[in-house]
Amino acid sequence: MNSVQPLPEITTTACFHCGDDVPPGSNFAIEIGGESRPMCCPGCRAVASMISQGGLERFYEQRTSFNDRPAADFESRQQDFVIYDDPMLAAQFSDTDNAGRRNARLLLGGVSCAACTWLIETTLKRMKGVHQATLNLGQSRLDVCFDPRELSMSDVFTRVASLGYRVQPWQSSLRQDQAKQEYRNDLRRLSVAGIGMMQVGMFAIALHAGDIQGISTEYQGLMRLFSLLVTTFVVAYSARGFFESAWRHLKFGALVMDLPVALAIGLAYGASAYASLLGGGEVYFDSVVMFTFLLLLARFLEKRLRYQDALAWQDAEQTLPDVAQVWKDNAWTRIPRRQLGAGDRVLLRAGDVIPIDAKVSHGDSAVREDSFNGEALPRTVTVGDTVYAGTINVEDSLEVSATGSYADTRLAALQQSIDAARHDKPAVAQLADRIATGFIAGILLIAAVTALIWWQIDASRAFWVALSVLVISCPCALSLATPASLANAASLLRRQGVIVNGENALESLSTLDVALFDKTGTLTSGNFSLRRVVTLSERYDQAGILALATALQRHSNHPLASAFKSSTADGDVHDVRYNIGEGLEGTYKERRLRLGSLRFCQEIVPTVAPPPDEPLYWIGLCTDTEALAWLGLDDEVHAEAATVLRGLRNSGISTELLSGDASSRAKQLGATLQFDRVATGLTPQEKLRRVAGLQDAGATVLMVGDGLNDAPVLKRADVSIAVAGATDLAKAQADFVLMSGNLEKITLLVDVAARTRRVIIQNFSWALGYNALGIPLAALGWVPPWAAAIGMSLSSLLVVGNSTRLRRATPKTEV
Amino acid sequence: MESLYLLIPVALIFCVVVIRLLLWAIDNGQYDDLDKESWRILADDDFEDDNDDRPDQHA
Repeated sequence: MNSVQPLPEITTTACFHCGDDVPPGSNFAIEIGGESRPMCCPGCRAVASMISQGGLERFYEQRTSFNDRPAADFESRQQDFVIYDDPMLAAQFSDTDNAGRRNARLLLGGVSCAACTWLIETTLKRMKGVHQATLNLGQSRLDVCFDPRELSMSDVFTRVASLGYRVQPWQSSLRQDQAKQEYRNDLRRLSVAGIGMMQVGMFAIALHAGDIQGISTEYQGLMRLFSLLVTTFVVAYSARGFFESAWRHLKFGALVMDLPVALAIGLAYGASAYASLLGGGEVYFDSVVMFTFLLLLARFLEKRLRYQDALAWQDAEQTLPDVAQVWKDNAWTRIPRRQLGAGDRVLLRAGDVIPIDAKVSHGDSAVREDSFNGEALPRTVTVGDTVYAGTINVEDSLEVSATGSYADTRLAALQQSIDAARHDKPAVAQLADRIATGFIAGILLIAAVTALIWWQIDASRAFWVALSVLVISCPCALSLATPASLANAASLLRRQGVIVNGENALESLSTLDVALFDKTGTLTSGNFSLRRVVTLSERYDQAGILALATALQRHSNHPLASAFKSSTADGDVHDVRYNIGEGLEGTYKERRLRLGSLRFCQEIVPTVAPPPDEPLYWIGLCTDTEALAWLGLDDEVHAEAATVLRGLRNSGISTELLSGDASSRAKQLGATLQFDRVATGLTPQEKLRRVAGLQDAGATVLMVGDGLNDAPVLKRADVSIAVAGATDLAKAQADFVLMSGNLEKITLLVDVAARTRRVIIQNFSWALGYNALGIPLAALGWVPPWAAAIGMSLSSLLVVGNSTRLRRATPKTEV
Repeated sequence: MESLYLLIPVALIFCVVVIRLLLWAIDNGQYDDLDKESWRILADDDFEDDNDDRPDQHA
């Protein structure tokens, strides 16, 4: 009498706003740009209609990635922003200028492309009272200047939140301020060198022409004098960094690339200055300035990438809400979360992120901890149980008593292990660095020997020949070989929907040995779907069972209920009650109807048989008199996961599943996807140990994950990828973030990494080959310093040009 | 050729002015977010007009 039938596949359309699947049967569609656009939820619809009513539909044409799905409880969040109207609190992230205007610094979440910055800036600037709004895409930082007499701080927060972005006060970190300062300094030096180069270049053309056609000593002296003037400024201002760095390292006996650079610049400048002041000899001001400019340019481009990775959402604390409801003076009061301390009575509504580690003092609920432990189903909690900061209260309101301040929470401990992992991460021994010291010692030696030998042959040429050797052997092309390739590969990846935080990881990715995958949220989507209906009674068919179950599930916040969103409910089910941790109960045709665990069903029908053996999440449906069915639910596995894993295995990379989930379901998934090794029920520490163990054995490790618990592992692994729905913390620790849920981007990444490696090797071969050829020629005195400088520049340009092939080439993977 | 005694210093003054301007722009934060600006110039035509109409623009 048992009938087992697979359910029909449901095809869905993607939400126009966030790109998630639109639940079948729902209708949130609205008209944008003259067409009806599908929407997945009221939140997306609200944000999208807000955008289209403001006449900003063009945002949708310009954006390069989908938006984050906005929080459902927007209205209740709105009240939370009111605390920022408190002058004391507002003073922490804003100040008032002389004209009485307020300058606020906000941190935004969900800003993924330049179109977002346009949308936010435009919307804010249209508000009455806002004078200026500037959003920095790299830092996700919004600077707003507004008139406090016309609107309040909370209005600004509310408006940004109404566009579907997360917003909180900006906390300036020392590291970020320094990075910004450094960036501006570099840009200043670079621009001065660039303008100086043009100016000196003009004089140089006149001087070189004069060498050929003849020039009177008077004008030659004039040109040289002005060249000297400009070059002095460039050397003192722009090239200062090279001298400082060379000297700093030399004091500790270290030879860095800056040393021959500083020597070449210093000597060429000194000799040219001597020649122009005392007359006679050659001047090479143009070479000095050009050399400085090109080197600074190369460094600037490399650094700019690193500046971009100074991601703002990097602290675990930022995942917590800003406001908590606390029992104070006989009333529930909203206070800033940071003021919470041990013993505070905190109210948690259903759907709230728990702000602090606490013990439940009143109420029953369930907390969703999947981002902590990979457990797909929430944990039931009751009076006396501990709940943890950063997890989500899903079922019902809870009253809890805080056990300490933020510093005592498990989340803070997690943050500490991230910081520790940052230190423990094996340093990527970059080829250029390894070569550098020996190379530089060699250059200096060759230059010195050349000078000595020439001193014997022709003392007047010794200085310039040695200088040519120094310039031609400048490791400029060598030092550009890697960063230029990585920068171009990163740019390609960005256009393919992969956020690149640490492009250096591409080097590790090309020599990958082991790929580790998290389960919940990474291989699976975290959305449940109905897989099997096993009917136990002949009086109900599958559709009838589904309708009854749906009617009950409508009343539940439990993640499993999401599987029933798309089916129609039976209208005859009434008085539905929810028993936390057990199941749902309702009345159907004068009889009790229960949906839940085996125990819950057995309470009214003791004869219910246990569910089938298949590793699914089973829930039973029964009435007073008989068992009706077992419903098997499953966390949806990404369809492309199998292809991606097969691709990895084919390239000789071993695959491992590291899941926090202890259920048999994880093992089953590991077997289906043919992982080489499956480990389940792991704590974050155990995951970390596994990675460390592999690394100690000499393996290069890739970690793909999404949860809070994956964050330390993502930091520690040689290469890490966070998937689309990952927590902000995990995203900030990962080298790459996939913006769409499509795991196939992993194949793309591996492919790009391999191509990048090939280009890097080509670059190195060229740079080293050029040096091998150029140095003997220069040492023989056949290369004047100006030719050496041009040769050096051409060599660098060739390396940069070769690297841009990475940007242009069409990737093999279809995306 | 005596004009060179005038033209070269003039060129230098230009040079100094340009450097001053550029340094000012950098310190003003105009180059802080190069990704956004390169995009904005293509996308922003009608928005700038809106902004100019606003009465409190010069407040």
